[in-house]
Amino acid sequence: MNKDIVLKLENLQTKFKVGKRIVHAVNDVSFELKSGTTLGVVGESGCGKSVTAHSVIQLLPKNGMITKGSVTYRSKAGELMELSSYKRNGKDIRQIRGQEIAMIFQDPMASLDPVYKIGSQIAENLLEHEKISKKEARARVVKLLDELGIPEPDKRYDDYPHQFSGGMKQRVMIATAMICNPNILIADEPTTALDVTIQAQILQLMNEVQKEHGTSIIMITHNMGIIAETCDEVAVMYMGKIVEFGLIEQVFNDSKHPYTKALLKSVPVLGLGKGTKLESIRGTTPDASDAYEGCVFEPRCDSAMAICKSVEPGETCLADAHCVRCHLYEGGSK
Amino acid sequence: MFKYFGIRLLALIPKLFIISIIIFLGLQLVPGDPISRTVPPDKLAEMDEEKVALLREKLGLNDTLFERYGKWIGDIFKGDFGYSLSTHGEINKIIANRLPATLELAAIGLLFATIFGLLFGFISAIKQRTPIDYSLTTLGIIGISVPQFFFGLLAILFFGITLKWLPVGGRMGVGEQAFFDRIQYLVLPSFILGIVYIATLMRYTRGSMLDVMGKDYIKVARSKGLSEVNVNIKHGFRNALIPIMVIIIMRLPYLVAGTVIIETVFNYPGMGSMLVFAISGTDLPIVMITTLLIAVVILLASFLVDVLSALLDPRIRLGSDKEGA
Repeated sequence: MNKDIVLKLENLQTKFKVGKRIVHAVNDVSFELKSGTTLGVVGESGCGKSVTAHSVIQLLPKNGMITKGSVTYRSKAGELMELSSYKRNGKDIRQIRGQEIAMIFQDPMASLDPVYKIGSQIAENLLEHEKISKKEARARVVKLLDELGIPEPDKRYDDYPHQFSGGMKQRVMIATAMICNPNILIADEPTTALDVTIQAQILQLMNEVQKEHGTSIIMITHNMGIIAETCDEVAVMYMGKIVEFGLIEQVFNDSKHPYTKALLKSVPVLGLGKGTKLESIRGTTPDASDAYEGCVFEPRCDSAMAICKSVEPGETCLADAHCVRCHLYEGGSK
Repeated sequence: MFKYFGIRLLALIPKLFIISIIIFLGLQLVPGDPISRTVPPDKLAEMDEEKVALLREKLGLNDTLFERYGKWIGDIFKGDFGYSLSTHGEINKIIANRLPATLELAAIGLLFATIFGLLFGFISAIKQRTPIDYSLTTLGIIGISVPQFFFGLLAILFFGITLKWLPVGGRMGVGEQAFFDRIQYLVLPSFILGIVYIATLMRYTRGSMLDVMGKDYIKVARSKGLSEVNVNIKHGFRNALIPIMVIIIMRLPYLVAGTVIIETVFNYPGMGSMLVFAISGTDLPIVMITTLLIAVVILLASFLVDVLSALLDPRIRLGSDKEGA
């Protein structure tokens, strides 16, 4: 594994058991995250982007499990670790969580425990991983809260979550994630539940944090605008698979996969005019528990060919790092 | 916060007043002449009408409903609970004898039920959809659906008569007045009293725990690398406890009702068995006082719910005197 790569997923497969059915939430996902960069994972609801991220630190519900593939991580100390082999909620993975790989979630309103002071919830992460006194922990939390733009941090440390607004709560969540100075920050739709103005502030803040600490970020979102704004590389997911992967310019300016193209067309743009019809992708995402042959996007694809119905497309890499899973490009360059 | 409690406490007074009126009026509806309940029938037959009228006057039965209520509630405020119609003893003394017995029984039953109810519910939730969960849930349904007196009789038969481990009833033997001596008499009745409570609390605890464990902040706690014990207890159970605390106290009336049955089954000399005796003998003064006391206990319990919820939940504690952001 290259020195500048901190996380590598290879053929990851995560399944859920729902009643008697097996749902393939993540199916054969591979990507590499470079140190200090931001990787965007974009796709519709239920495409498996969150599950992919949760699989990295095995933060899966009881009925979900990694069934195939590997998650290789390079720790702060430079050690290579195979995260998917660790026992769920076991000691090994717990040392990674919070300390090496931290996470922030979609809904800051629900992410804080209502009965504890916000400061102590941030310090909890620190006290779990570092041998320091409560007083030192408090000092460090207050310092970080100050850096993250929380006014009167020493006073606000003793407030309860219900005394904070949504944007402030998400700042607290960023503080919780960043307090141990992790290598990787996984942001699972960090701005979806926030006002647009607050969204911009939070993204700006994450950007600053990344510059300051050199953190690598995995940004999960369904918002193409956020991807364009914050990411260096992007993975477009559909039905548990990455259908297109590349640098942000490659994917946005020269998108190859019909799904990516359709997705970009369905983003509303300011000044589009009232009468203009906003494109949508026809049909709905199929049931992930159904077995299928051929390309998963075929039923909704405008450029579908005969081969798409029966043969599953493999990965075709066009330029350096720009890869796509589509029959249209097979046999092209390489 | 103290202002909040003060208002809650003051609100108890009108509630109590209304309840006392309902109890008073309700028992006026009991059919029959109060005189015939006061004087034995053979003596009543010997008395001439003048004497009966005099007695009626003396007992205040000719006063208006309003005056009689005033006298009743006034006496209670003075600490005079009146006389029993059947034993002619002072009700104050009877209650002084019996109330501690019931309090002892109810307190131990409650303690026991709370500990096991919460424990089983917690385990059941953590081990959701495993054989442990299924067996506990099944036992819970049995605990709720089988009547208490049946458990009581089974326990007497098995532990009292067959095994002879524990006394079959009563509160203390001759010369056994220390609490330590009385424990053997308390084990069976308090255990049986607690069974329904355990089953109820277990179900609520399980539900509340499962509800909390699905919350985002539990996922966040795991993402910090906390151990499962920490996640389950510090974040899970602590939050699940808020609604459960309310249930524990809201269910107190059922515990009180339970003592009536348990004390009768175990021949335990408490308020419950006294109430049964008084009702069957239409001993209205005792029935009225006992009902009023039960109402007081339940009102105090509801006040306790408010206090405890405020102590456990910062949203209530601080929401009352500080603006939330």
